[in-house]
Amino acid sequence: MSTIEALGLALLLLMIIVGGKQGIKSFVSLLTNFLLLWLALLLIKLKLPIIPTTLIIGAVVLAVTIYLGSDNMLSAQTAFVASLLVMILVAFVIVPVEHWARVQGFGTEDAEEIVGFSLQIGIPFLQMSIAAAIFSTLGAIAEASMAIATACYTLIKQNEQMTPQQLYHDGITAGKDIIGTTLNTLFFGFFGGFLALFIWFVGLHYRWGTVINDKVFIAEILLILFAIIGVVLTVPVTAWLMSKQLHAQQIDNKHNK
Amino acid sequence: MLKVKKPLVKLWQLLLVFISGIVCVVATHYDAFLYHQPVGEVVQVLHSKTTTVQDEYQNTDQQTKQQLRLRVLNGSYRGHYFTVSNTYTRSGALDVPYHRHQQVMMSIERVKGKPTAAISNPKRDTSVVFTLWLAITLTLLFMRFSGVMALLSIGINALLFYAAICWDLHWNGANVLMIFGSLAVLFAIMTLTLVLGFHKATIIALTATLGGTFLALLIGTGIMNITHEKNIYFEAMAYVTQLPRPLFRAEILLGSLGAVMDIIMDMVATLTQVCHEQPNLSHRQIFITARHIGQSIMGPLINVLFMIFIGSTLPMAILYLQNGNSIAYTFHFVMSLGIVQSLISGIGITLAVLLTEILASWLMGKKVNTDVNH
Repeated sequence: MSTIEALGLALLLLMIIVGGKQGIKSFVSLLTNFLLLWLALLLIKLKLPIIPTTLIIGAVVLAVTIYLGSDNMLSAQTAFVASLLVMILVAFVIVPVEHWARVQGFGTEDAEEIVGFSLQIGIPFLQMSIAAAIFSTLGAIAEASMAIATACYTLIKQNEQMTPQQLYHDGITAGKDIIGTTLNTLFFGFFGGFLALFIWFVGLHYRWGTVINDKVFIAEILLILFAIIGVVLTVPVTAWLMSKQLHAQQIDNKHNK
Repeated sequence: MLKVKKPLVKLWQLLLVFISGIVCVVATHYDAFLYHQPVGEVVQVLHSKTTTVQDEYQNTDQQTKQQLRLRVLNGSYRGHYFTVSNTYTRSGALDVPYHRHQQVMMSIERVKGKPTAAISNPKRDTSVVFTLWLAITLTLLFMRFSGVMALLSIGINALLFYAAICWDLHWNGANVLMIFGSLAVLFAIMTLTLVLGFHKATIIALTATLGGTFLALLIGTGIMNITHEKNIYFEAMAYVTQLPRPLFRAEILLGSLGAVMDIIMDMVATLTQVCHEQPNLSHRQIFITARHIGQSIMGPLINVLFMIFIGSTLPMAILYLQNGNSIAYTFHFVMSLGIVQSLISGIGITLAVLLTEILASWLMGKKVNTDVNH
C-alpha cells in the first residue's frame, strides 16, 4: 500500500468514527474536489479557456463542499448562492491584481525545480496563477458561507418575528466571531504551506526592497490576501441573501393568510 | 439594497478609506528614492518583433522581442537613459512583457567602463500594497472592532513566526521541529485563552488542540515509516534549504493548527453556552451535542486546507503535463506532499474533535442517574 492510500484510509476510518454517515459524505466531498481539480487541469491542457473553466469547476467545487457538508438543505442553498457570488466578486479582485503584479509562473527561487523543463508550453501562466488563486480561496469561502448561513438560520428559528433588517444586522454580528477564527485558519494554513520559502528568505538576508518586489514571495502574499478578502466578503453577502430570503418568505406567508 | 437603521459606513469614514488608499498607491509609485537598487521607468517601447516557436513536445508559443528605453529614477544614474532588450513569451513562465510608464527594478553595471543596464523585475510594491489596503479596509469595514483584533492577532503571530524562523536559522535547522513545535504550543495557549478566557473549557480546548495535532503528526509519521514513504518524493519539496523531513513535519504542525483551533473553539464555545442554559446535562447528552457540532464543521474545514495545499500546485502541474509527463508521474511529484499534508491535517482535525467530545462529556457532564435515584 502506498503512503497516501494508507493515510487516506486512516482519515476515512477516523471520519467514520467521529462523523458516521456525515463523515463518509465529507470524505467523498474531499475526494470529489480532488478529482474536480484534475478535471480542471485536463480541460486546461485541452486548451479550453482557463478562467471560464476555473469558474465553472469552481462552482461545482462549492456545490460539492456545501451540499455534502451540510445537513440542513435550506441553509445550504443560501450558502451555495452566497459562495458563488463571493467567488465572482473575488475573481474581480484577483484578475486585475494578478495582471498588475505579474507574479505568474516561476521565480529565480524555482530555478532548481524547473531545470530541464520546456517553459514555452503555449499555456499562459498568468491565467494559471489566476486559476490557482481562485481555487485556493474556495474552501475558505464555502466554509465561511456555511457557518454564517447556519447561524442566520438559527437566529430565524429563535425569533420568528424577526425583520429582514434585523436578521442582516444580527447575521453580520454573528459573522464577526466566525470570521475571526477562519482568518486564523487561513493564516496558519498558508504559513504552514510556505514555511520552507520563508526560511529561505530570512536565511538569505534578502533586502527589504528585494523581498517586496520578489515574484515568488509576492505571489504567496497575494494568495493569503485574496483568501482574506474572500472570507470577509462572505459575511455581508450571506447575511444579505438570508435577509432577502426571509423577506420573500414573510411576504409569502402574508399572502397565504 | 436594504435600509439599515444605522448606516453601515459614515461619509467621513468612506472618505478616509478612499484617501488612505490613494495615499498608499501614490506613495509606493514615487518611492524609488527609498531603494538601493536602481529603479527605472519605461519611457518608450522602441520596437517589438513576434515569432512563433515550437518546443520538442509540439507546444507552440509566441515569443516577442522588445526594445525598451528606460529612464533611471534614483541613485547615481538618476535621469540617465538606457536602452535594453527584453524577450517574453505568451506563456510567460519566467518572463513578462513591459509597457510604457511601467516601473522596473534594474541592475546597472560597468562593462569595460561603460554602464550597461538590465531589467531584473517589474516593480511590484504598488500592487501588493494596494491589495493589502483592500484586504485591511474590507476587514475593518465589515468587522469593525473584531476586525482590528483579528488583524492585530495575525500581525503578532507573523512577528512570532519571524522570530522563530530566525531562531531556527541560528541553529541551522537542527531543532526545526522542536522550535516550531514550541511555537505551536505558544500559539495555541495564546489564541485559546484570548478567545475563551481562563475556564475549565479552555483546558479542554487546549488539550484537544495540542493532543489532536501532535497525535496526528505521530500517526502520520508512523504510517509514512511503515509504508516506506512509497510514492512520496521529498526531493520534489520546494524551497528546501534544510533537512526536508523535519521541515515537512513542522509545516504539517503549523498548517493544521489554525484549522484545529477553529473547530475546537466553535465546539467549546457552543458547549459552554449549552451547559450554561441547561446545567444538568448528562455525559451522554454533552457527548451527542459535541458530536453533532463536530461532524458538521469537520468536512468543510478539511476542505479549506486541502484547497490551499493543492490549489497552489496547479501551475507546476500544468508544466509537468505539457512536458510529456503522465498524470501519475505529475501527481506523485507535484501533489503527493500536499496531499499527505492535507490528510495528516485532516487526521488532526478529526482526532481533536474526538478528544473534545470525550473530554467535554467527562468534565462538563453531570451524573444524571444518581440525581434520579435521590
